[in-house]
Amino acid sequence: MLWVDKYRPKSLDKMLVHEEVAKNLKKLVTEQDCPHLLFYGPSGSGKKTLIMAVLRQMFGAGAEKVKLENKTWKINAGSRTIDLELTMLSSTHHVELNPSDAGFQDRYIVQEIIKEMAKNRPIDTKGKKGYKVLVLNEVDKLSREAQHSLRRTMEKYSASCRLILCCNSSSKVTEAVRSRCLNVRINAPKEDEIISVLEFIGKKEGLQLPPGFAARIAAQSNRSLRRAILSFETCRVQQYPFTNNQVILPMDWEQYISEIASDIMQEQSPKRLFLVRGKLYELLINCIPPVIILKRLLSELLKKLDAELKHEVCHWAAYYEHRMRLGQKAIFHIEAFVAKFMSIYKAFLIATFG
Amino acid sequence: MQSDIRKWFMKKHDKGNGNAAKPEKPNTATSQPETSPPAAASPDKPVHESGEGSGRRKTSKYFATDSQKPKDEKEIECTPAKRKTEKSREELNCDVKPPSAKRVHKGDEDEDFVLPSLKKNSAKDTPTKKLKSGSGKGIAQKSVDSDESDEEVPDDKTVKSPFKAAGRGAGGRGAAAAPAGGRGRGGGRGGFMNFGERKDPPHKGEKEIPEGAPDCLAGLTFVISGTLDSLEREEAEDLIKRHGGRVTGSVSKKTNYLLADEDIGGRKSTKAKELGTAFLTEDGLFDLIRASKPAKPPVREEPKKKTADKAVESLPKRSPKKVERKDQGGSALARKVGPTNSASGVSLAKQNGQTVGHSLTWTEKYRPKLPNDIIGNQSLVKQLHDWLANWNEQFLHTAKKGKGKKQNDGGAKKAVLISGTPGIGKTTSAKVVSQMLGFQAIEVNASDNRGKADAKIFKGIGGSTANSVKELVSNEALSANLDRSKHSKTVLIMDEVDGMSAGDRGGVADLIASIKISKIPIICICNDRYSQKLKSLVNYCLVLTFRKPTKQQMAKRLLQIANNEGLQVNEIALEELAERVNGDMRMALNQLQYMSLSMSVIKYDDIRNRLLNSAKDEDISPFTAVDKLFGFNGGKLRMDERIDLSMSDPDLVPLIIQENYINYVPSFAGKDDNGIKRMNLLARAAESIADGDIINVQIRRYRQWQLSQTSSFASCIIPAALLHGRRETLEQGERNFNRFGGWLGKNSTVGKNLRLLEDVHAHLLASREYNSDRETLRVDYFTLLLKRLTEPLQTLSKDEAVQNVVELMDAYSINQDDFDTIVELSKFQGHRNPLDGIPPAVKAALTKAYKQGSSLRVVRSADLITLPGIKKAPKKRVAAMLEPVEDTLAEEDDDALAESEEENSSDTEDMENIDKQLKMDFQSNSSKGIQVKLDLKNTGNSNAKKTPANNSKESSQSGQKKGGRGSGAAAKRKR
Repeated sequence: MLWVDKYRPKSLDKMLVHEEVAKNLKKLVTEQDCPHLLFYGPSGSGKKTLIMAVLRQMFGAGAEKVKLENKTWKINAGSRTIDLELTMLSSTHHVELNPSDAGFQDRYIVQEIIKEMAKNRPIDTKGKKGYKVLVLNEVDKLSREAQHSLRRTMEKYSASCRLILCCNSSSKVTEAVRSRCLNVRINAPKEDEIISVLEFIGKKEGLQLPPGFAARIAAQSNRSLRRAILSFETCRVQQYPFTNNQVILPMDWEQYISEIASDIMQEQSPKRLFLVRGKLYELLINCIPPVIILKRLLSELLKKLDAELKHEVCHWAAYYEHRMRLGQKAIFHIEAFVAKFMSIYKAFLIATFG
Repeated sequence: MQSDIRKWFMKKHDKGNGNAAKPEKPNTATSQPETSPPAAASPDKPVHESGEGSGRRKTSKYFATDSQKPKDEKEIECTPAKRKTEKSREELNCDVKPPSAKRVHKGDEDEDFVLPSLKKNSAKDTPTKKLKSGSGKGIAQKSVDSDESDEEVPDDKTVKSPFKAAGRGAGGRGAAAAPAGGRGRGGGRGGFMNFGERKDPPHKGEKEIPEGAPDCLAGLTFVISGTLDSLEREEAEDLIKRHGGRVTGSVSKKTNYLLADEDIGGRKSTKAKELGTAFLTEDGLFDLIRASKPAKPPVREEPKKKTADKAVESLPKRSPKKVERKDQGGSALARKVGPTNSASGVSLAKQNGQTVGHSLTWTEKYRPKLPNDIIGNQSLVKQLHDWLANWNEQFLHTAKKGKGKKQNDGGAKKAVLISGTPGIGKTTSAKVVSQMLGFQAIEVNASDNRGKADAKIFKGIGGSTANSVKELVSNEALSANLDRSKHSKTVLIMDEVDGMSAGDRGGVADLIASIKISKIPIICICNDRYSQKLKSLVNYCLVLTFRKPTKQQMAKRLLQIANNEGLQVNEIALEELAERVNGDMRMALNQLQYMSLSMSVIKYDDIRNRLLNSAKDEDISPFTAVDKLFGFNGGKLRMDERIDLSMSDPDLVPLIIQENYINYVPSFAGKDDNGIKRMNLLARAAESIADGDIINVQIRRYRQWQLSQTSSFASCIIPAALLHGRRETLEQGERNFNRFGGWLGKNSTVGKNLRLLEDVHAHLLASREYNSDRETLRVDYFTLLLKRLTEPLQTLSKDEAVQNVVELMDAYSINQDDFDTIVELSKFQGHRNPLDGIPPAVKAALTKAYKQGSSLRVVRSADLITLPGIKKAPKKRVAAMLEPVEDTLAEEDDDALAESEEENSSDTEDMENIDKQLKMDFQSNSSKGIQVKLDLKNTGNSNAKKTPANNSKESSQSGQKKGGRGSGAAAKRKR
């Protein structure tokens, strides 16, 4: 088993980071009535771990006996019926699902499915809790309509059902939904926290960590604990007795993007643009989300860029990222960004070097 | 080389002059065009006066050949006053008739071919009268010109309006001609078909296309070869046809000229040299045309009085008249008919118009009465005739007389199926033939209900046509049996059988049944004999496939009709019409009749202009559209043409554009040393394409279809406008043609991979060790997972490696498919394949080890298990259930599972079986590490017949999991 999962704390007491939050949550849950919760924070900060721990705190070990179901729902949407397929993880006490999987039909999930699940009171054998819990992931990706339908559900069925929402950015969750929840901000762990976690794992695994090694991993992890642990283990697989100057490899796709970036910097020509298009397609085919590609590409480009161009390039990256979200064919927008960058950079090169 | 050819051309050309005796005068002019002014002067002079300005010249020339010709001449020859009688008569007519003419016109005659001329007469009269005092003939003619220019709207008022309007009218016409030409150049039909084969003319559009006497090339046959200097081939063809010439595809003895500007040494030119055909350059052609008519647009006002008269005197003797004579030689009949008609025809036309012309359309009026009148397909008509004539003998008599000799002709069919495109006379032939043979035709077509006859109402008591058809078919049997003597023969014509659809349920089957029992001949008619509906019918019918008549055949018949109706058309124009309507005689007649409403003389150009629209509706492939948009001339296209091109396939064209825009070197950028301009244009184009994508989302998601033009504008027209120019290759070995849009393929790969990733994700989730989302899985986990899965295989010893990997796979319930997915999604072009360096033996060992382990493996994966015995995939898929570590919880869990399963599909017995089985399994299986064993095998066995995949018996005890897994895989494949 991978270390990330192996050393994931199972209960609120065992948290290594966010201990304060964990303590508060425990209090909240044990004091019988729990409000709706909204966890938000960057990825790799421990939201999911906390949620699982909270559930365990609520329902005991029963919450961990999940099964995976792939259900097809028939929804009557006015004149036609829509078939929606949805994967959900459920135990006797809670259901976890990812409504944004349904794309632009997510509204129906909220309106019909969630409502239906919220309506049914759990048949609680032990009589521990009078409600069940719905965990909704990626709430920030829900469409506006879906979020609007969600807020009514939250009020109406609050007697029998609690919602735990989880997202990266709370700004994309509507005000109305946010005000109905207890917002829990999960910060990205600080670097020294990450270092301490890595050292903890190292100790448990019985590894010899050269001084400063954990710090280097932490620095490269972009303050994502998950990534830090993963790359820690990658290093372990790669070469065991750690050496002090061991290279910490980036992810495969990150490597590829940095190759693209250097391609772009080397030459700005239609030929190169064409080559870059091929490589971008390659990334997309490997299921790397386009937003992440663009973001990474920008940061790779910025590394090599003259200071005076940085503002402009950032502006254009933001411009095209926004448009990419409006559009559908991501490659068009990334390519447009690359073309724009090439034209700016080329003009700059000519202006400076003639 | 070039000059040599030219010389040769010239020589041939001269020779050609010798051969072609007819157009002497033009030829003299061509052979020494501008070199000998004195010689040219004489033909030039009259030219000055007779018509000024190219536009006017043209009209006046038209005038000369038109039905008004007599009048023209009359006016021209005013002084000689040769035809005074006729003239006076005509003038009398004119003076008297206008009111009646107007009345007739208002009555909306079908055949008011006399009317325009009449009106023109009257109209002309007034101005001439007024003018006679002031100006001379020239002006009178001008008014005539105005008549002509306004011929579309034969309204007295416009004609009576002052001269200036007339002048403007002529000018307007000239102007109108220009864009028409432009259109021909830009969107010339068929032009795209030859894309790539032929280059654009080097001096395209640079030369002024001359106007000539309309029939100056009459009787001459041309063949065009190679690229011309300034004209597109279509334009040249058009030019020749407009002037009465004929254009053929290959050189023969009849060919007068081979039109070529360069000697490409093709088959045509060698053949022409063999036959001694004259070569003609494009300039030569222009000269030929120009010579037939005044070359220079002279000053207008000067030659008014005496010169005008003089010219008028000289003119008739010279070219125009000669030309007229000549070409009228061909259509002498028409010409003769013309005057008589217009002279005496007023009354005649009135009668005609009021009695006959009213009610009948020409298509009805000129429907063939005899089989011989039918155009084309004569042999088929004969076949039909023979079949029908022999029908009774063949089927009735043989049936009656000895049964043993039934149907001596094995191939004989009881029914006929006539197929062919619309308007080529299928119905007509059927009717005419049956009429000739004395059959009474009963026609049933799509306007009647032709459903299956109601079987219960025997022998057609019901009112529906279907029943009456049945009745007819069988009753005839009665009558035929009873009184043969009477010979009241009937034939059933089933028209438009391929139109039997929705309402006519069982129509075709019933028709076949009718054919089988029929005692009367049945003729079926359809448009498309390969239609799916008719597949069964074809077997019972003799199939006659009608072909389109040739354009010559059609033109001949059309000319007859036109002459009958007093319409003046030349044969070339009719051939063009025949070609444009694509062999549809009915449509040709309709068009002709429609045109006859507004004009009595129909020229080649009229037909061209009128039917231009129908020619335009051709399919343009998306590639052609992109070629055109990005081509060198892309910048010259009009906006509506661009929109047409980009909308020809609003889905594909943008994709092809997006795929290829990088390849174009924009002519827009001009001189661009370091490529910065091109890069800027590329960036702009890319942004615009991205705009198109955003708009497209609006269209699709929010159904804002009114934006579709904006979308094609952003995604096609702007990029093409920025970047049109030369295409270059960016990759070695690439063909220099536009690639198909790659997005579609890539997108579907992305979709496939996402599904695979989703499967892996589901398995990981089910392993309960993992709880993040799909994205995180790919972005964060895959690198490490891949390393953990492949690295040991490369470095460690075989056994150790395999054990290591299988352990990890089990921990995350990754199966072999998932393994492949992980490897596949981590491959990057130009990077090392992660599986490289793994010895095949290790791979095999891994597979083996994994499979071995599968006997002990629990159902961890959430592979959606298809329940055996249930054909349809269950709505709620049964998921595997994970057992908690604590034994005490097993019971509870079990209950939960059973509960949920009962909930899911309690109505099927199989499910209950499974439930029981599950419970048993749970009870028996108390060991801790091993979790649920879903005994799918048993249920599988109980339904062994239905699921043969599951009946590997030897593994029924230990390999329960395997069964489940197998079916799970099947489920996935299904997905």
